[in-house]
Amino acid sequence: MKRIFAVALGILTAIGGFVDIGDLVTNALVGSRFGMSLAWVVVVGVVGICVFSEMSGRVAAVSGRATFDLVRERLGPRVGLANLVASMGVTFLTFIAEIGGVALSLEIATSVNELLWVPVVAALLWIVLWRVRFAVLENVFGLLGLSLVVFAVALWQLSPDWGGLWQQVTSPSPPSGESWTQYSYYAVALFGAALTPYEVFFFSSGGVEERWTAKDVATMRLNVFLGFPLGGALSLTIAAVAAVVFLPAGVQVEALVQVALPVALALGKIGLVIALIGFFAATFGAACETGLSVGYSIAQFYGWRWGKFVPPRQAARFHLVVLLCTVLAVPVLLTTVDPIAVTEYSVVFSALALPLTYLPILVIANDPDYMGKRVNGRLANALGTVYLVVIVVASVAAIPLMILTKGGQ
Amino acid sequence: MTSLRATYDAGLHLLDRQIVDPDDAPVANVDDLELRERADGRLAVSALLTGPGALGPRTGGRLGSWMVAIWRRLRPDADPQPGRIEARLVTHTDSAVHVSARARDLRVDGFEQWARATVIDKIPGAGRAE
Repeated sequence: MKRIFAVALGILTAIGGFVDIGDLVTNALVGSRFGMSLAWVVVVGVVGICVFSEMSGRVAAVSGRATFDLVRERLGPRVGLANLVASMGVTFLTFIAEIGGVALSLEIATSVNELLWVPVVAALLWIVLWRVRFAVLENVFGLLGLSLVVFAVALWQLSPDWGGLWQQVTSPSPPSGESWTQYSYYAVALFGAALTPYEVFFFSSGGVEERWTAKDVATMRLNVFLGFPLGGALSLTIAAVAAVVFLPAGVQVEALVQVALPVALALGKIGLVIALIGFFAATFGAACETGLSVGYSIAQFYGWRWGKFVPPRQAARFHLVVLLCTVLAVPVLLTTVDPIAVTEYSVVFSALALPLTYLPILVIANDPDYMGKRVNGRLANALGTVYLVVIVVASVAAIPLMILTKGGQ
Repeated sequence: MTSLRATYDAGLHLLDRQIVDPDDAPVANVDDLELRERADGRLAVSALLTGPGALGPRTGGRLGSWMVAIWRRLRPDADPQPGRIEARLVTHTDSAVHVSARARDLRVDGFEQWARATVIDKIPGAGRAE
């Protein structure tokens, strides 16, 4: 039983990190425009996040240091600060988007305008971050997030042309009417969404808080190799139902309610309710992760005490940062900015911050000073290096593609 | 250090590392080092320096000077000095720098105390652990 709950951290990270508001919308949008022809990017992304999460988890378990600690130790104060600003900016944007996503889910369920929900959601979120135990957080949102499996059930109920879907998967090129630049832009967006830096910040910090040791490496790996592929599979089913329902009709997904529409079509009201619970859990879980991650990264950069396992008064600066973030997110959302647009931009910008986050992890994971015998094996190094190259390419391409495609329009 | 190595790379092994107290609670980062020349002419680390007052000059550029300027303005004393932890308090180093004194006795966390007294302690539940 204990082992089952130990895996919950991985599932929460996967659901919240892999299937957050950005993935819900990006995957459905990609499915509706490109069918399954970008599915390979999700697979590539899942392998990448597995490689680096395993590395950062192992570093956390063996050396007791979370990721942002290492970023500064290896990059120095100046480049470290640049990375702090970039990744905190991205994580904060994502945090704002997730709160908007929770509010949108509640609007769909209640028909009360999302703007009225925003302050309520922010207050609730802060109380959760202030008060609720870490274990409760991960189990509740991890398990509730599993209700997104309803998308798989819906896909099966829609009895799609499986051969046709498979053909889309195996022909990785834009369908007629879409250009290669658009296709590449969304490839970078999906890749960025899969590898968002806050996933490793949250995962490694959680590991340090739970006081993992070298003995826990096996459980940690189980988390990674179960959690992220599960998140990836959920992403793919969301794209698949959109490909089945919207692609033939030529409808482009633009709102969260459209993401849930295929489920309602296949399974009726009950399906819709389950999907909405899944949306709520995934976005609320991701809001918790991103909110804490902003606090983690700044506290680790400056060497402050941080975390949810000590009373808030002993990690006062950390809790002050989390509180300020939550308070600041509300007026940003109340400007009526579209949370979906915020997510899409944050996903592309996160591609920019990636190399500076993943390079130090790869370097430290090879340093016997920190890792002793637990340094990277050949496979981890080969994959890590290949992915670092891919990450650099994606990060260089992100902004030009964004300008060329006018943000994918 | 009784190692056979002639040199010790303090920049690699000490700078930017996390300082932790005997309970493994984070104290601060090693933002800079204070060096002293020994009788034999070699350099020894005499103290770990912490806080924006030490980090600013190392960050360098306009950003670094702003960091120091803001820190100076926010400090109550007329001529503030960076937080200082005597090198003799360091017990050992691994992935972190371990010191023998507790975080609260080291007096290098002015901002933490301010945040605690001004904001966090006023919120119900601030003292409750998980």
